[in-house]
Amino acid sequence: MVRSALGRSSRLDRGPRKLARAIPALSVAVASLLPLVPVVADVGWFPETGLLLLLAWRLLRSDVIPAWWAAPLGLWNDLVLGLPIGLSVATWTAAMILIDLLDRRTMWRDYWIEWLIAACLLTLADLARRQVDAAMGAPYDLVTIVPPLLIAILTFPIAAFVASALDRWRLNP
Amino acid sequence: MAPGPGARAGWSRRAQYGLFFSFLAAIAGLLIGLGLLALSLVAPGAYAGVRGAALDLTAPVTSGLRSVTDTASGLLSGAGNYWDAARQNAGLREENRKLQRQAIQARAIFQENAQLKSVLALRENEVATVATGRIVGSSLESARRFAVLTAGSGDGVAVGMPVRSAAGLIGRVVDAGATASRVLLISDRANIVPARLLRGGQPVIATGRGDGTIDVRPLEVGRNPFRPGDFIVTSGTGGLYPPNVPVARVIRLDDDGAIALPLADPASASFAVVGRPYEEAALPQAEPSEAEE
Repeated sequence: MVRSALGRSSRLDRGPRKLARAIPALSVAVASLLPLVPVVADVGWFPETGLLLLLAWRLLRSDVIPAWWAAPLGLWNDLVLGLPIGLSVATWTAAMILIDLLDRRTMWRDYWIEWLIAACLLTLADLARRQVDAAMGAPYDLVTIVPPLLIAILTFPIAAFVASALDRWRLNP
Repeated sequence: MAPGPGARAGWSRRAQYGLFFSFLAAIAGLLIGLGLLALSLVAPGAYAGVRGAALDLTAPVTSGLRSVTDTASGLLSGAGNYWDAARQNAGLREENRKLQRQAIQARAIFQENAQLKSVLALRENEVATVATGRIVGSSLESARRFAVLTAGSGDGVAVGMPVRSAAGLIGRVVDAGATASRVLLISDRANIVPARLLRGGQPVIATGRGDGTIDVRPLEVGRNPFRPGDFIVTSGTGGLYPPNVPVARVIRLDDDGAIALPLADPASASFAVVGRPYEEAALPQAEPSEAEE
């Protein structure tokens, strides 16, 4: 009896994994590194994976990433991707605050509405980035940001899937 | 699905304060972000140290994985080359014959040029090589065109230095870490290269378009001087880029200029050479921070 209890992992006493509270933020920080894949491309088409995963986590659960955590995560994103420092800090925090405000207004939301919210926020982030790039001396046409934006919006379901899989994994070992 | 309980604290005073202070912290984060952004717009050199350090941190990862993607893309382009080998072969043979004829002419011109220069005793700056590195990555998630080069300030690279490969001009250094640096490619919107048309020598301005092509315009207003297939080389004006480095080949004309394709493809150039600016005095001007101070 003792042997059987020792040999198999008990159904009792199962809890979240260690660092369960930090895993969402850590996963966003790791996702920020994905565009560093060593491909030299003529056109930037890769989605900003850090922002995608941040939005996916925030829309999946409202309490895993407090809104102000977006500021240090955005700083990390700026540093590793070589963006103008402060751009992601501002856009990511603004996105979190906007979702907080939206949560007060919406009575319910389903998967399609989450996708729509993510699409709107990704569009706003890209427009802000275009403004900043123009201010830094590189004005480009509005058409230039459309294909990468579409790719990012279509990638959001993958980010949502990753966030929910990580959520199950971290809470239920 | 109803929104989670996070936004509503219920009756607990402690939870209400927690939410409120978290909201205040988020607002503070937003303001700090805007402040940092304003600083990086006004004084782009302010974060040079931090940006260089971050580059040193991420570049080894990218360069370590580069060999994997090199193999994969080599397999793909190799298969693509086999696909219409016969047509390519005929085209290349034709081009080879033409180039042989041109090479003979060029050799004659080269000799004549050397004689004329010795007569004139023309003083010319030798373009010194500072460092050699590999291009390992690019700004894949952005409409700006940057590349990461595996040579940094430890090798003598400084912000503003021109970068070229065997095929032509690649760009100039904008961030320098200790072991890696970030290069602003000539296809970026912010990179303006003073250039000239190889046929005729008319001065033109080459600006990147952000999609891998380059927009070339003549300095003088008049009829469009470009023809498809024309070569653009640097003119050396401004003193940053050395003269006579190949830049681009014209592929299409538009109303008063042309669209050109860079001759140096950073994706296939295995090595890139960082040189000293043609005139040393151009280095401070290439740094936006010092230019504005």
